[in-house]
Amino acid sequence: MNEHELLVQRFLDQDLSPEERVAFLQAVDSDPILRRQWLNLEMVVAEAAQLPRMTPSARFFTELKAKITPPSLSWWERFYATVTAPQTLEWNLAGAVAAACVAIVAVAGLFSLKPERVVEVPVATVPAQTIAAGTTQQPTVFVRLVLLQPGAQSVSVAGDFNGWDPAQTKLERSDGGVWTATIPLKPGRYQYMFVIDRKQWIADPLAAEEATDGFGAQNAVLDVAI
Amino acid sequence: MPLDQQTGPDDAQLVARSLKQDHEAFGQLIDRHASVIVNLAYRMVGNRAEAEDLAQEAFLAAFKALSTFRADSKFSTWLYRIASNKCKDWLRAKRPGMGQQDVDIDEVLDIHVAEEQTPERLLSQQQVALELEQAIQRLPPLYREAFVLKHVEGMSYEEMEEILGVNSDTLKMRVYKGRLKLSRELAALNPTR
Repeated sequence: MNEHELLVQRFLDQDLSPEERVAFLQAVDSDPILRRQWLNLEMVVAEAAQLPRMTPSARFFTELKAKITPPSLSWWERFYATVTAPQTLEWNLAGAVAAACVAIVAVAGLFSLKPERVVEVPVATVPAQTIAAGTTQQPTVFVRLVLLQPGAQSVSVAGDFNGWDPAQTKLERSDGGVWTATIPLKPGRYQYMFVIDRKQWIADPLAAEEATDGFGAQNAVLDVAI
Repeated sequence: MPLDQQTGPDDAQLVARSLKQDHEAFGQLIDRHASVIVNLAYRMVGNRAEAEDLAQEAFLAAFKALSTFRADSKFSTWLYRIASNKCKDWLRAKRPGMGQQDVDIDEVLDIHVAEEQTPERLLSQQQVALELEQAIQRLPPLYREAFVLKHVEGMSYEEMEEILGVNSDTLKMRVYKGRLKLSRELAALNPTR
């Protein structure tokens, strides 16, 4: 590329200083060969800027966008992708403190719901005969009380289960002076006494366990269990 | 083509949304830049179907490598660089004799021009565009690339420098030589010029 050609090129790129441009135009005016070179180059530049532009086809856009769109997944594939995708937990100090407070309150709440103590009561063998019934909610046990008292005119029972009222639960006399009563009781531990002829209080002689009543006498103890 | 002639969200916003798996956003980037990329590829390879395939490859490469895109440069610049490299790779594979090392083949070109020179052949104005298209295809790839970006796509040397990773002085020389060869070819086809 000679000096003139380089000058033309720089003129086309508007790379000349004002003085160089004047010198170039004077040279073009006086040199027909240089003028021809310049015009030919100008024509190339002008034609290049007007070359027809092709429009991308519809197929181009359709195919390309299909390639960047992930295939639709089934609900199971989406679920699997969600649970197996690595997650980044973003946190800050305020959020961490708030989360810690929530955790502390939750744990304290759980402790407040816990009973202070749980008492396990061993169940003794029931001396009386029992029959369980009504198991829908709290089961009821039918307890048969028996007392041999041939000379008595009446026998009743008083205890925890009837408010220590002998009038509420009377025993029935059978052959041989055997008095019996069948009473429904919830599972639990009860104290009771028989009342003979409305005046004599005695503990059940068949009771497996007795307990003091705090007044110097002994109550029979009945453990009712399923 | 002016790189920033656009409306709606800018490229950086669309790139950010694309990185959050918003495929619609990348679709907008395709709509926005497809014409330039396809035309650039077409001027480089001279075949419409190949140009669209190469443009698709360029967009897909950009999509897959989007996380590596550095926000301190323009998305368009990065995309054009990918497309340009795709075209050069294609030219190397399809036309081994027209690689980057063959940029200075004035002698070969002069012989080629001489062979096609037919003094009685005069060019009409309509023929000029067609002849120019064909002459551009005969330019060495690096001259062709620089000439197309400068005069067909209307980019500045600064933009070209960023896209091609070549300093502007080198790019100017490539454009100069490309223009000169094209003007000689056209002049040779029309001796009255």
